[in-house]
Amino acid sequence: MGVKWTSRGRTSELEARVKMLEADMAELRRHHLRLAELADVVQELLIPMADQDRERIDAAIASFQASL
Amino acid sequence: MTAVDQDGVRVLALGRDVVVDALFDGRRIWSFWVRRDTGPARALRRRVDWPRAMRPHLRGTSQVTLREHVSGRTLWDGEIAFGDESRRVTFVDRQGQEISLDKSDRFSPTFSVRTEADLAPLLDAMGDLLDLLGREGVAAFPAYGTLLGAVREGQFLGHDSDADLGYVSAASNPVDVVVESFRLQRAAARAGFDTYRYSGTAFRVRVIESDGTARGLDVFGGFLDHGRLYLMGEVGVDFRDDWIHPLGTTTLAGRSFPAPARPEKLLEAMYGPSWRVPDPAFKFETSAHTQTLLNQWFRGTSTHRREWERRAALRRRRPVPGGASKLARTVARREPAGTHVLDIGAGRGRDALWLAGKGLTTTAYDYVPGQLRRAAETAAERSVPLDVRELNLDEWRSVLSEGARLSRLPGRRAILARHVMDATDDFGRRSLARLGSMALRGGGRMYVETWTGEGAGEDGLVPLPIARVRRVLEAHGARIVSSKEVPPGDRGNTGSVGRVVAQWE
Repeated sequence: MGVKWTSRGRTSELEARVKMLEADMAELRRHHLRLAELADVVQELLIPMADQDRERIDAAIASFQASL
Repeated sequence: MTAVDQDGVRVLALGRDVVVDALFDGRRIWSFWVRRDTGPARALRRRVDWPRAMRPHLRGTSQVTLREHVSGRTLWDGEIAFGDESRRVTFVDRQGQEISLDKSDRFSPTFSVRTEADLAPLLDAMGDLLDLLGREGVAAFPAYGTLLGAVREGQFLGHDSDADLGYVSAASNPVDVVVESFRLQRAAARAGFDTYRYSGTAFRVRVIESDGTARGLDVFGGFLDHGRLYLMGEVGVDFRDDWIHPLGTTTLAGRSFPAPARPEKLLEAMYGPSWRVPDPAFKFETSAHTQTLLNQWFRGTSTHRREWERRAALRRRRPVPGGASKLARTVARREPAGTHVLDIGAGRGRDALWLAGKGLTTTAYDYVPGQLRRAAETAAERSVPLDVRELNLDEWRSVLSEGARLSRLPGRRAILARHVMDATDDFGRRSLARLGSMALRGGGRMYVETWTGEGAGEDGLVPLPIARVRRVLEAHGARIVSSKEVPPGDRGNTGSVGRVVAQWE
């Protein structure tokens, strides 16, 4: 980029990049739990809802909430 | 040499660090390491005060003994008077059970004071739960202190206060491991177990022992990926599948239980190479990296819940105060008759009880629903219908399933959210707005009150600028109907208060 790094400048640039990478990693890791939650909701609730049987939907929601 | 008095203990610390038990009238109450857990005193001595949790019990006289846990050598023995009450010092809980300090410095009826008959329901529940997990495709085994007790002593550890099960999933990524843990909890709940989730891969089953003592049976999930084992909540090590599978057996309190193929390998991963040496004051030294990984993969669905539970427990017996907040009165005045009011973060249920008494259909929600029990009882006594439900804004499954349930109920709804946005985190604030977008679609309103940062906010609240409240609601499709901020001192408020009313079209 045409920039001549001093060693101090280079170090603080690398520190900033490590910090950013750590934040990116943390964000990605936190998605695991939320993706699992969505998969669970879809599996347990969306499918009973698709068959539009009122009693089965109510039962599916009640049973889902009983184990949270 | 060693000296003991009303304030604490002074010991001579020479050579290797050793763990010492403090016995009161012959019963172990507390254990500590003479170097790790003490501070410097005069000469070569170290000193440590009695732990804070012990102090309320220290009234009366007791024969106090300090004894090295491993060698059994007595370091000090004598009668001490704590204050001038003429009674023996006792360590018992409200039910009259003998208690002592566990490794988390909390008082509980540790296994040392339990008889075989007391423990039979726990051992039965362990067997039943292991069978159930097996039917669900998971080969579980006693883990952590329970495995250590079984392998080293054939018994529960005397200073331990709960039982643990663990398993290593066939899945190799956190998403599948969490989905599996949800499924296992569902199976346990269906089988009639009383369950409670800690994190994405740990839940507890509550077991009632034969004398009524409640005991936690924790189920920790783990997985192996490319030769690395992660097991909630303390393990992240290089490991081999054949050290776990196929499971072998171990003996605990005379009964046979499954165990990892090489239990010593797992015990070393959990407790370090010195796991064979008893340590009633053990503290995990999990690496910062493993803690970070486990936190980021699996934790975040129960932020600050323990603090709220503790606060709720302190106020459990008090009657629900009368009257209502200004915000609840506004809701009652502005919402048409027949509106279903959802009081989110209802606390002890003061507003919910008042609204229900005014004839509004009311549902009281809380993160810690146990603290609404008193309000539910009071409502029943007054023949006022009040629905009480759990809602966890840090868990999408809770918010989405409740949003789905509500969206199917007919009628107009309004949400009362007083000191919720300022009691939760960013994730919780977004969840509240998401619930609003699901439950209030079609003209329903949300009434929000927060502490905005001036003056003193109530305990447990974080200051929240009113602009942030508006932003999160608007980001979830709401239109702001009104927004105002009042300074501290107005109508007895100790802190500045922001009030926002939002509507979903």
